[in-house]
Amino acid sequence: MPLKIQGLSKSLGEFHLRDVNLEICDSEYFIILGPSGAGKSILLETIAGIHRPDSGRIILDGADITDRPARLRNIGMVYQDYMLFPHLTIEKNIGFGLKQLGRPASEIKEATGEMASLLGISHLLSRSPDTLSGGEQQRVAIARALIIKPRILLLDEPLSALDAITRRKMRSELARIPSLTGVSVIHITHHAEDLISLGHRSAVMDEGTIVQVGDPDEIFKNPQTPFVAAFTGMENLFTGIARESNEGKIIRVGSVKIHTITRYNGPVHCGIRSEDLIFSREPLKSSARNVLKATVIKIRLMGSLAWVVVDCGICLTGVLTIRSMYDLKIDEGDTVFITFKASAVMVFPNGQNKE
Amino acid sequence: MVQSLQPHSGSWFQGFLIVLSGVLILLFCLVFGGLILWPDPQALIRALTSEEILFAIKLSLFTAIISTLLCAAVALPVAYALSRYTFPTSRFMGLIISLPLSLPPLVAGIALLIFFGPSIFGDMLRLIGIDIVYTTTAIIVAQFFVNVPYLIRVMRSAFDSVHPRYEHVARTLGASEPAVFFQVSLPMSRQALLAGLTITWSKAMGEFGAVLMIAGATRMKTETLPIALFLNLSTGDLDLAIASATILLAISVGTLLIFEHWFGSRRMI
Repeated sequence: MPLKIQGLSKSLGEFHLRDVNLEICDSEYFIILGPSGAGKSILLETIAGIHRPDSGRIILDGADITDRPARLRNIGMVYQDYMLFPHLTIEKNIGFGLKQLGRPASEIKEATGEMASLLGISHLLSRSPDTLSGGEQQRVAIARALIIKPRILLLDEPLSALDAITRRKMRSELARIPSLTGVSVIHITHHAEDLISLGHRSAVMDEGTIVQVGDPDEIFKNPQTPFVAAFTGMENLFTGIARESNEGKIIRVGSVKIHTITRYNGPVHCGIRSEDLIFSREPLKSSARNVLKATVIKIRLMGSLAWVVVDCGICLTGVLTIRSMYDLKIDEGDTVFITFKASAVMVFPNGQNKE
Repeated sequence: MVQSLQPHSGSWFQGFLIVLSGVLILLFCLVFGGLILWPDPQALIRALTSEEILFAIKLSLFTAIISTLLCAAVALPVAYALSRYTFPTSRFMGLIISLPLSLPPLVAGIALLIFFGPSIFGDMLRLIGIDIVYTTTAIIVAQFFVNVPYLIRVMRSAFDSVHPRYEHVARTLGASEPAVFFQVSLPMSRQALLAGLTITWSKAMGEFGAVLMIAGATRMKTETLPIALFLNLSTGDLDLAIASATILLAISVGTLLIFEHWFGSRRMI
């Protein structure tokens, strides 16, 4: 367990970290997902030693590094906008860290060359940073951070500034870094896709706290809070009252009764994934407990999928292939039936309910 | 471009503004051209190579270079501190440092004269054998005092425009604080530094009020170019006065060209 963060808190202007606890394993690709302003950058900068935490400890390989200056931490950092030194060539940028260690010029040149070829940027060495594309600058920034052989590499929104094609390419290159160099990577992002394609383990952060830690599948399938659910793309989120009834556990959302399986009673949040809604023209006979009559309000086409918004007392968004939409002849204004299982309803306590 | 935006209605207004600007430029050229063309060219050359003007050139060059170097030595660390660190009195300090900017140099000069002259501090200095009033050192002190706030201003805004994240990255790469300053912040502000030094030097060459107050106007002793201009004008020796003015004018034009070259259309001050 190379990096342990214990009870870390830091206030900086309008950004706050509150009691952050995390453990990063060896050669792990760890993703921290959260919206802008969640305090992700401050967390990285505090780990790197740029900011001193108000409270909490940072342990690296068993040693408490909370008070160690950034230059002695051996933690590399790559910012979203790369921050390549504009007055230095690419070669000098990559070699910067070794120069600080007072290594001889010949050794720096050799190491820089090796690192450049590892990242496929050997042809750029004599260029100046402002002549490089975003993807190239990204690679240079990573090379510059990796050349000091850090224990941890911190990536601050590394893919956000890139175009879609470069982003996909960089994503697979980033994924190779831990196995290639043995470094553990902490990557912060506000894109849920990064989580699916990159993370070994991930954490979701909101308003300065870690709200959930787990592997990406777990986070998507089993969000622990409405925020995580919404952030990982759950379209249908409601607030209602859960209670026992003669038909089993139900949640009342406005005038709508939703059958569910939960141990909570009283006010709760609940969510239903769009892909769990089944559309039909006639009421479906199945084991699914929830069948609701609804009117189609809006259809949004995206690629081969159709997002269909229906009103059944509450607004639900479902997704189906365009093919099935045509087969069912669904159009705006039509009456349809929506079916979903009681177990498809995710229930989150809202803080004041009892089990 | 502008014309294509406003094809008809603005044309008489535009024309008026452009003509007005043209008249002003013409006036400038007449005034300054007239100054250089006024004396007989041979008299001007004779004045330029006279012992007195040569002395003034040498003294001005010497004092301006020394005071500019002193300004740099002080302004760089102070500007960096004001730009990078927030400490309890940093705002107040910023204000105090900027005060001489809006102060007439004459006032700064008389303040310096009192400080180094009859004040307790002046007495103490004289006790250990240092008396700078009416000396070459006084010229350097006056130039330094008047110019250092300008250079601090320029460098502070230059350091402000270096994103702190560059420094953060340098620190994670093992750079000590001095290394961050000398290898990242300072080189990234190099243009502003060169321009700032040029302006400081040029202002030092032309500094009159403060120098007059604390160094006096003694012929062939504390006679810088502006003092030479003043002395010769008061004795009616117009050729020598115009010779000093011509040199100062040339220095201004040179500075302007260098400044434009380094900064292009970016305006710093």
